[in-house]
Amino acid sequence: MSVSNMLENWSKFRHMHPVDDKPHEEYKWAMSIDLDACSGCNACSVACYAENNLPVVGKQKFDAGQQMHWMRIERYWDDDGREFPDQGAQFLPMLCQQCEAAPCETVCPVGATNHTADGLNSQVYNRCIGSRYCSANCPFKVRYFNWYDYPTTDNVWPAEMTQQLNPDVTVRGKGVMEKCTFCVQRLERAKNNARTEGRLVHDGEVQTACQQACPTGAITFGNLVEPESKIARQWAHQQVELAARDKQAKDEQEGGSDLRGYRIFEELRAYPSVMYLERVRESAI
Amino acid sequence: MEKDIRESIEWAKINGDVLKSLESPRPLFWVILVVALSMFGVGVGCEVYQYQIGMGVANLNNPQVWGLYIATFIFWIGMSHSGTLLSAILHLMHADWRKPIYRFAEAMTTFSLMTAGLFVMVHLGRLWQFYYAVPYPNERWVWPNFQSPLLWDAMAIFTYLSSSVIFLFIGMIPDLAICRDHLHPGWRKKLYTVLALGWEGTDRQWRNFRVTYLTVACFLIPLAVSVHSIVASDFAMSQQPGWHVTSFPPYFVAGALYSGCAAIITLFVILRYVFKFEEYMTLPILKKIVRLTFAIAMVWTYLNAVEFASVWYSHDEASKAVLIQKATGIYAPFWWMMNFCGSVVPFVMMIKRFQTSIPVMFAVSLLLNLGMWLERWMIVSPTFSHGYYPYLWDNNQWPTLVQWGIVFGSFGWFTLLFMGFCKLFPSVSMYEVKEMVYHRSLANKHVEQSLTMNVNELEEKGAH
Amino acid sequence: MIENSFNRRDFLKVLGWGGTAVALSACGNTSIQDGVETVVSYVELPEYAIPGISVYFNSTCAQCDAGCNITGRLREGRVLKLEGNASSDLNHGKMCGLGQAGVQAHYNPDRVREPLLRNGDKGEAIAWDKALGLINEKLAGVKGEEIAFLTGGVSGHVKVLLNNYLEALGTKNHYSYEAVSPSVVRAANKKAYGVEMPRLRIDKAKVIVSFGADFLGAWVSPVHFAQQYAKFRKANENGRGVLVQIESKMTLTGANADRWIPIRPGTEGIFALGVVNALGSAGLALPADIAAVSKSYDAERVTKDTGVSGEQVTKLAALLKERSPSLVIAGSAAEGYAHGSQNAAAIALLNRVLGNVGKTIEAPASVPFPQVTVSTGNRSAVQALNDSMTNGKVKVLFSLGANPVFTAPSALKFKENLSKVPFKVVFANFLDETALEADLVLPLDSALEDWGTSVPEYMGEASQLNITQPLMEKLHPNTRGMGDILLSLLKQRREKEYKDYEDFYSYLRSAIVKNKSALGGNGEDDDTFWTAALSTGMVHFTSAANSLSAKSSAAGLVLPPPAEEDSAYPLHLIPQVTASMRDGRNANQPWLQESPDPLTTIVWDSWVELHPKTAAKLGIVEGDIVEVTSRSGSIKAQAYLFPGIHPDAVSVPLGYGHVALGRWAKGVGANAFGILDQVVDKETGELALNETRVKISKTGKRVFIVKDEGAVGGSQAGVKIAVRASTDEVELSGEV
Repeated sequence: MSVSNMLENWSKFRHMHPVDDKPHEEYKWAMSIDLDACSGCNACSVACYAENNLPVVGKQKFDAGQQMHWMRIERYWDDDGREFPDQGAQFLPMLCQQCEAAPCETVCPVGATNHTADGLNSQVYNRCIGSRYCSANCPFKVRYFNWYDYPTTDNVWPAEMTQQLNPDVTVRGKGVMEKCTFCVQRLERAKNNARTEGRLVHDGEVQTACQQACPTGAITFGNLVEPESKIARQWAHQQVELAARDKQAKDEQEGGSDLRGYRIFEELRAYPSVMYLERVRESAI
Repeated sequence: MEKDIRESIEWAKINGDVLKSLESPRPLFWVILVVALSMFGVGVGCEVYQYQIGMGVANLNNPQVWGLYIATFIFWIGMSHSGTLLSAILHLMHADWRKPIYRFAEAMTTFSLMTAGLFVMVHLGRLWQFYYAVPYPNERWVWPNFQSPLLWDAMAIFTYLSSSVIFLFIGMIPDLAICRDHLHPGWRKKLYTVLALGWEGTDRQWRNFRVTYLTVACFLIPLAVSVHSIVASDFAMSQQPGWHVTSFPPYFVAGALYSGCAAIITLFVILRYVFKFEEYMTLPILKKIVRLTFAIAMVWTYLNAVEFASVWYSHDEASKAVLIQKATGIYAPFWWMMNFCGSVVPFVMMIKRFQTSIPVMFAVSLLLNLGMWLERWMIVSPTFSHGYYPYLWDNNQWPTLVQWGIVFGSFGWFTLLFMGFCKLFPSVSMYEVKEMVYHRSLANKHVEQSLTMNVNELEEKGAH
Repeated sequence: MIENSFNRRDFLKVLGWGGTAVALSACGNTSIQDGVETVVSYVELPEYAIPGISVYFNSTCAQCDAGCNITGRLREGRVLKLEGNASSDLNHGKMCGLGQAGVQAHYNPDRVREPLLRNGDKGEAIAWDKALGLINEKLAGVKGEEIAFLTGGVSGHVKVLLNNYLEALGTKNHYSYEAVSPSVVRAANKKAYGVEMPRLRIDKAKVIVSFGADFLGAWVSPVHFAQQYAKFRKANENGRGVLVQIESKMTLTGANADRWIPIRPGTEGIFALGVVNALGSAGLALPADIAAVSKSYDAERVTKDTGVSGEQVTKLAALLKERSPSLVIAGSAAEGYAHGSQNAAAIALLNRVLGNVGKTIEAPASVPFPQVTVSTGNRSAVQALNDSMTNGKVKVLFSLGANPVFTAPSALKFKENLSKVPFKVVFANFLDETALEADLVLPLDSALEDWGTSVPEYMGEASQLNITQPLMEKLHPNTRGMGDILLSLLKQRREKEYKDYEDFYSYLRSAIVKNKSALGGNGEDDDTFWTAALSTGMVHFTSAANSLSAKSSAAGLVLPPPAEEDSAYPLHLIPQVTASMRDGRNANQPWLQESPDPLTTIVWDSWVELHPKTAAKLGIVEGDIVEVTSRSGSIKAQAYLFPGIHPDAVSVPLGYGHVALGRWAKGVGANAFGILDQVVDKETGELALNETRVKISKTGKRVFIVKDEGAVGGSQAGVKIAVRASTDEVELSGEV
């Protein structure tokens, strides 16, 4: 409470990153998205709306760029000026990358966005004053701001629609920043259940809403600390390291390696917790 | 060429002229006041609307989260720097021409800081919770995030504001005593009595006054430099292309001084006319400010070029893309306008004829300020619309009337405060002008004396 | 731990103040807004309604006809979210966006809440007794053949009751209508394999050649196919599967293909025969009948007719020859022509030549009770009904789950003819375009409140009967389940037969329990069996294995030459069925409207897809409002330049442009159904969806398209974001 106390314990106030002297202990939630399996169908995005009480902003506000999809499916075309995209489109589900060295966390004036002990980039709605500095500093632009008071003045959930709202997730009022939480409400429930039974959360015991919906199972989610979990094995196989000091194994090889795993903007050293697996296209046709 | 301040001007006349400004300005004063008030009203209306409905009415979005609010915030912070430059730096350098104009420059510092502070509030999504950014001890042990440049910013601005208020106040004490002694009884006299802190002009008071004033001045200079460096850190410490530039702090400080000086020219012209200060705010003084402004303009131009060059010759493709986008993209007209206003227009000040031409300098100063305002906008917005992530590149994001209204209102608010101040307090420092006149006449006498002395000496030598 | 200097005294102080505050706030100023919410504690806690604990009930998704098994998550008696039922053979716990939005159909504020009787232009709320009595009254004196019942695809016990009711009324006029359904392919399959919908083993195939079958997006059972597709893509013992998509307008599946081949509209059959011919040249032994038909389709002719290079055909043939088994699927792009049946038949030949029948095309599991199987809808039904109405042969019309006023081509003048029917009863959740024309609207329970069963048309390993059960109490007291309504109507006619059933639930339970031996519950206690059925949300039929009869023959297969150029209407209109909108019945669910179309990322509006080349020729840029005019009508919509479309074609999504259906659907976009020409497939009589020719003209207006992609469109601007590798660059085996 006192200033002297604060100064004495300074290092403990904001020190949740996995530095060498303090690695993740029980959990480090991470995700991988296989772009070869992703069909771009948008099921994950709608599931996210359902799970996380995301407001539907309507045409006008969508036009103004104020849409609130925590999970957005991006569609890219080849840039090589071919007449037809004869190798199809590229789809990329983009969500908060839950960076280990998150650019958003350091800049928040009130500390409303923090790193949790299990490696999530948390957003404390009650603490947020809406300076939007976090969004300004996010390389992926996956933070969404409540430009309007969606539940009240905007009446996004009229009449019975409110009954659909997930009571485990806050309905955000105007002026706060929000973003993908890796479905933290599901994680907490699973952790509590595990704790009650005196164990850790099993691999596959908890799914994020997007992962659960994904028809092609392109999304894998789990605990990176547990070496036998699917996610840890995936990361290990692709030789992607969470806090690689410089480059990933894939980037170091001349001409690229035969691995598929990569993270977006590796060079910015934000150390994202989401690994993407390259889309593959048949060379024989 | 017009005359400089007359050395023979009587002290009583100085008192009289300045005190008259507190009572009978030209009618234009009231016109300005009414216009400013209505501008402020527009701003307040827009803000109330935005507060009620949400930030969305400003047409901000993801990725354009800041828009004109932060740009104008930097602009006003920048404006505040010239007061410190004129009163503190030039004070230490013994440039006596600053004396008739430093008071209003200091007032400008204070009020532009207050205006800038408003923008911090205006741009917050939940401004009713702004106090979360204040490090107050609390039972929950929740502190603001000391890593955040925005927090440094808030602290720096608050420190700078309080220091500049103190500096302004201290420098006014002898003048407040004059007001106290010369004004008719009424609420104003009571106010001056309280504020004059029992000043009697004793030797001891003067000695303490000088020491205090000098100390605060010394304190204020590094503060002023740091304040804008910290504002620059908001950008330079972020990771965004176009912002993450090492040269930003000096660039911001130079820009700040630049816009401040330009604003001083503008206000100089206005005050000179409105409060009939022709005798004090003389054209030779204008000439000196103009020269100073030109020098700073060149510093700014150099630093601007440094910024471009360091981006251009770097391997940071993203930053380069932002720079190219500034010059060729949707912001290009504004960006070129900014370069024109900031680096080409000042060359008008090279022409001797124009240096003392009030209409030309008035127009030039407005253009310079426009350029500086555009500069801030061109720092903030292009990076948002052309950041790292191409999927979010945005070409369809223009400020709405609400945003413009609040920016517009801020000028009204500033003018209101500033003109109110000039009406309520002596905007020309009476005691320093007296000093100036005295020192100048003394110096002339000294020259005459030394000339006579030399003759005497020779005579004496000859006598030996 | 961080030391806290908060001592006992402080604690008591806080407690004191806090206590006072609580006491004060209790004086009327609580967090519950006055009159908005009330908190009432349970006197007796209902079973499974423990505050704060979620419970899960299984049911069936009603958003489309795939019939995925779902699990509803409930808290405090409210459905919050729908998940896939993990024990389902069909969707294995997965779900699409459309299915997820099912809760929004349920909670939708625009639902019909009372039986409405027409009074001039308005609907007047009346009591159920009166409404049902009125139906009885209106039916009196009407001959059996003058009664018609229009439905969508219908199956399960509702179908049983419906048929019984029709029988009781003495009518055979059951029109089963689906605006977008693979009905030509069904007919072609029936001919080629002996079944309408064989089981497609996407997961077993090494190469899939799909002629416009959007099996990942909106075709037949997309969630089921998507999971097979995931297996198909994995580098397992079969190696990574290769998907080749041939269509004139890129579908979601096409966007995921290894090779997407744009083809001149309508020439799919020619291309298929060209591949057959190339396979023969490559050394594959062709049956004589097929060789005879295909021999004239050499590379040169194929290139000339389809616009696809001969090299492409040869390459594809080589791949198909090398990697077996493969799977060739005919989809909606191939069937939507006047020669759609021939196209589909030609494509089916490929499977026979490649020996896929029996390997990747399997017999579906059979259903031992034909009375519950789905009566699949088609487009010719609405024509037949329309003809009867035109001639004044329909006196009473019932309509359930179909919206022909919205979906029928305007050439039919369906709305006008409908007004010739003296009494029209519509069973509806929402006031859609057809319900607005009704004389009596009977409000239905939502799919999450109702009892029912259904049999999906396309099934997995075993055939199953899906159970729909209420996930929560009725939102509106005056809605009723379709089964209950039919039961009441039947009781008007056959009181004796149905008097034992108090409601549809008791009927359903007894019907299922009675047949438990055929439903895998042999020897089980009734209650145990029933509870288990409800808890899994489905029962499996014990059924004999079905078999395919590979009798596809090339005899009599004649393909017309490519369509002639039409100078007045130079472009082919390809109406697209998007994964979210389908035929438009779900357009009132805001999640679907706000969920960007995967390929264009457009939301909340229709659009006109044009190839940039075509657009350049017409001087159209993105956002131009263009008028798409066919011989049957015209619509206006924003132009979107889309590289994945043949330059001779334009595409407009279906399902938009409602003039009713509530706040989120009304007035959004333009209705492309309205401008479809009345051209039918020659064999089946189905409306040929892709046969409409259009011209495009600018209106001079331009808008910013509301879409998710940014200013640079689909470019990554040189930044490494979504990365693609070719198979020879990566090592897929051993991946986790």
